[in-house]
Amino acid sequence: MMPRGWRAAVDAGLGDNRTRILGVFLILLAILGTYVMRAYANIETVFVASLLAGSLLGRWWTVLVPLSALAVLQPLEWGMTYRGYMVGAMAGITFFVVSGYVFVGVLGRRLRPRVLFRVKSVALLTTISVPLTIAYDLWTATGEWTFLTRPLGVPFATMLEAQVPFTLYHLLSSLIFVPLFGTAFLFLHAYGWPTRNPEEATSRPLGRG
Amino acid sequence: MFLERSERWQAVAFTAILIAAIAGLYATTLMLQPAPVTPSVVHSATLDVRGASWTIQYRPETTTNNTAFDLLREASVRLGFPLGYVPYAIPKGIFVTSINGTTNGDGGSYWQYWVNGMYGTVAADHAVLHDGDAVLWTFSVPQEG
Repeated sequence: MMPRGWRAAVDAGLGDNRTRILGVFLILLAILGTYVMRAYANIETVFVASLLAGSLLGRWWTVLVPLSALAVLQPLEWGMTYRGYMVGAMAGITFFVVSGYVFVGVLGRRLRPRVLFRVKSVALLTTISVPLTIAYDLWTATGEWTFLTRPLGVPFATMLEAQVPFTLYHLLSSLIFVPLFGTAFLFLHAYGWPTRNPEEATSRPLGRG
Repeated sequence: MFLERSERWQAVAFTAILIAAIAGLYATTLMLQPAPVTPSVVHSATLDVRGASWTIQYRPETTTNNTAFDLLREASVRLGFPLGYVPYAIPKGIFVTSINGTTNGDGGSYWQYWVNGMYGTVAADHAVLHDGDAVLWTFSVPQEG
């Protein structure tokens, strides 16, 4: 029957209840964290949420978390930072931003088999977040140059030079938020939520889809 | 127990490295922040604001609002025109979004400023004014600074 097959696909894609709760938490973390920190350039939580969605939850959450968060945050960005720019320019920049975060999620998914509630896992996620943050910033700077500053005659080298302090802020954001929320979500992923008696909780992570 | 002994040492070592990395990075970002402006009395500074179809002129004899933004804000209070702006904490600076009802983005134009004919290359609240400086705000298509 078609409906049953469709429902089974959704169930398989979203995982069990705990996975769904964590997925929604990650979306809320991405939206609320970034919104609260909006006065601080590049201090944001979409990056950590995307990385954790891929590495902890996998399945559809790998793309669902960044896409859902950006579906809320990007229109806010359009109405504030990029207010008045041509639709084509905004769409182009949005493509670079969305694809950048989806790439973060997909790369997080590649780490999945090695991610457990261990110090090494948090260290691995934190370490990988550094080159990933730089790669993401290079990618989105390319997008901004292509659609915003190149038409004004700004050389790409100038764009990259101007990007340096913002990438430092972004690295600061990743170094704070990845271990902080990584530890919290690894714990919730491994031991469940709410935590019962630790002796009763399994030390094995959830099944991976 | 959630953490075995070796795990604890790893956690301590990781936390120490992480704190050192964050502190170093934070110190670097602080060095990149613009120096705070010291208030001082400025004589004979002038302000011209050019919108799409209107102009505003402000000529205080003296002012203690000695930045391009503070002089604009003083004018908005004294002359009674609305001023919109967004303060950013990192990087520190004010971003002017609207003056006298004309808002950034309308027709692809944005509020930009010049001091003595020189295009503003820092946030307007960090552009220090001196005696006789002429500040010009225009609503125009952005150009490279």
